[in-house]
Amino acid sequence: MQFRRFTVPILAALALLAVAGQAAAQPCLIFVHGKQTDTNTFTSYTAARNYWVNGTHDFVKTATKNFATPYYVVGYNGTRPYWESQAAGEVANEIVNATNGGADAGGHRCTKTFAQGGTFWVIAHSMGGTVMDYILGNNDASDLNFNFNGPYDVVAARISLAITTGGAHRGSQGADAVCLQSNPLCSFIAIFIQSCDDATFWLRSSDDVQVRTFANPPARTIYLTAGYEAIFGASACLNGEDDGVVQYASSFACNGSATASYDNTNVCNNANKQEASGFRNLDAAHENHSDERDDSDSDTRRAIPDGNWTCGGVPCAPNTVVQSSMTTARFISTLY
Amino acid sequence: MTTRKTLGIVMMTMVAATGPLAVRSTAQEAGQLARTTAKEYLEQARYPKSSRALKQGEGDPVRAKREVNRVSRRGPDSTEPTLSVWAAKVSFEKGQPVDLFATLETRGKALAATGVAAVTGEIVDDSGAILTQLAYRDDGHGVWSARLPPDGLGGALAASYMVRVRARLANGDLREAAGGFLYSDPAAHLTGHYRDFVRDGDLVIAAEVEVAEAGRFHLAGTLYTQGGEPFGTAQAASQLEPGRRWIELPFYGLMFHDRAAAGPYKLGTLALATTNRMPNALNDLVTDAYVTKAYRLQQMRAVPFERPALVEAAKRLELDADRAQREARKPEQQ
Repeated sequence: MQFRRFTVPILAALALLAVAGQAAAQPCLIFVHGKQTDTNTFTSYTAARNYWVNGTHDFVKTATKNFATPYYVVGYNGTRPYWESQAAGEVANEIVNATNGGADAGGHRCTKTFAQGGTFWVIAHSMGGTVMDYILGNNDASDLNFNFNGPYDVVAARISLAITTGGAHRGSQGADAVCLQSNPLCSFIAIFIQSCDDATFWLRSSDDVQVRTFANPPARTIYLTAGYEAIFGASACLNGEDDGVVQYASSFACNGSATASYDNTNVCNNANKQEASGFRNLDAAHENHSDERDDSDSDTRRAIPDGNWTCGGVPCAPNTVVQSSMTTARFISTLY
Repeated sequence: MTTRKTLGIVMMTMVAATGPLAVRSTAQEAGQLARTTAKEYLEQARYPKSSRALKQGEGDPVRAKREVNRVSRRGPDSTEPTLSVWAAKVSFEKGQPVDLFATLETRGKALAATGVAAVTGEIVDDSGAILTQLAYRDDGHGVWSARLPPDGLGGALAASYMVRVRARLANGDLREAAGGFLYSDPAAHLTGHYRDFVRDGDLVIAAEVEVAEAGRFHLAGTLYTQGGEPFGTAQAASQLEPGRRWIELPFYGLMFHDRAAAGPYKLGTLALATTNRMPNALNDLVTDAYVTKAYRLQQMRAVPFERPALVEAAKRLELDADRAQREARKPEQQ
């Protein structure tokens, strides 16, 4: 039959195109910033977008391969505790908006919605990591704080994974120092921590404020990378390697004391995280806390225990220099 | 300090002197991150999020959440001794005194009491207000302790308090650290009555609670073998009205097959919390709460749960991985 003779190949070709189209799509990158000392990133898209920019250096541009990959920039109130509605609640709602094809406040949107088969990777810096721990660890009706102030279940169902850079998973000794209000030598980068405000109070190292006390293992894997370029003054107040604001025990989500000293050779492996599952090491970069989010310091990267770099087909020994010049943004662009 | 701080200026000097370091390494092959993650999700999908088997040798996650961790801080320029501070528990229930501790150690060895002039503390609430001040006493074993009487705290369902500790050394140097604790007034308590049964191939342990005020309550527990090894955990949450109520913990049947665990089983740890608001109000951890009846393995389900959202996420990640691999091969083909 004439109809069938033409229709079958056309339908087959269309089906093939549909599958190829689905398979060819890149994940949409959703960016979640860190701690702030004012509400600018919540009220102004320009501020939220510029969080990732330093002069001509642009983390979003590099991570998205010169904007070839679709992206969405989240802006929330970084002065509020990680679990509050203007923090976790806002982030959850914005991520769902992104997965529905909605635009961020700058008009950027993910090309494919979740319903159309899109995939979504969250890139979070600093306190953005704590916020994501809380959301992804409270996505099920059996969790402690299920959907506490937003659609955490939808977020978890729709994102594929998260990557944190300098994530404050176990808080920050910088927050401890600021809340002690006495040591002027601990001069932290003012844009991140200025005073013991509400967000800072909830980023301290003690168990009573830790996200692990109020959440379960994340429903999607959180991959960890962090900086080890110390900052003169500030790093004297942090134990072990650090990026000038967050110490390794926190940025690599280690179990045990949040103030334990670690370096590239001995930082906790994947079996010794703050939760039994859901946290995985990537690598470490010679970047400080600011460099980690603004693509300004193309520097050395080193392997860490259970990280993702291979040397001659086997995992690189911890502390091996694996790249002599690569920013975290560029590194992320190689992962998808 | 065990590690050398890696300062930018030092590294810049090194690079300038030696030039870029030769690196013979590669990241994982294209799409490997997505593929590894997909594999992990398919493994996790065997269980519902509310219940899973523990790996051989894995610790009790319910107990781990209530273990106290010390907060440690050195002096200026990372000098010893290190001041470490902690509370006796993560959370204290209303009416309980709060026991606080501190040590001063150099490379793990306690500083002699003669080396310390005084250790003091301030209790600070989340508004920054100083509620009270404390003097720590040397207990003679290198540990300094202070007790906060139960009155004067609370009011809310739960509150977080910071403990600012200052240790003045005999030589005049100062060490400071910030610890903390939760003070909880939970709206329900376990009565100590339990029952167990098998439903749809899962072992259900129901715990009775006395609810004083309506709210959302979370219960988590870990099962142990009779030999004392933790092998499975479960959690549940319910909205409950005042009165005596039951919360059921369903231990997914597959765990008994995966761990070849024969009953009876011991409910080794049990943690109740009131979760109406943040911070949650945590009840004291209950240990060795209950021993179940003996069950045959055949009574338990052996089929994986196949959590749909995780299976779907894995499928999409595989597509991402395939695409990344194809793109990586393109230059080779040209």
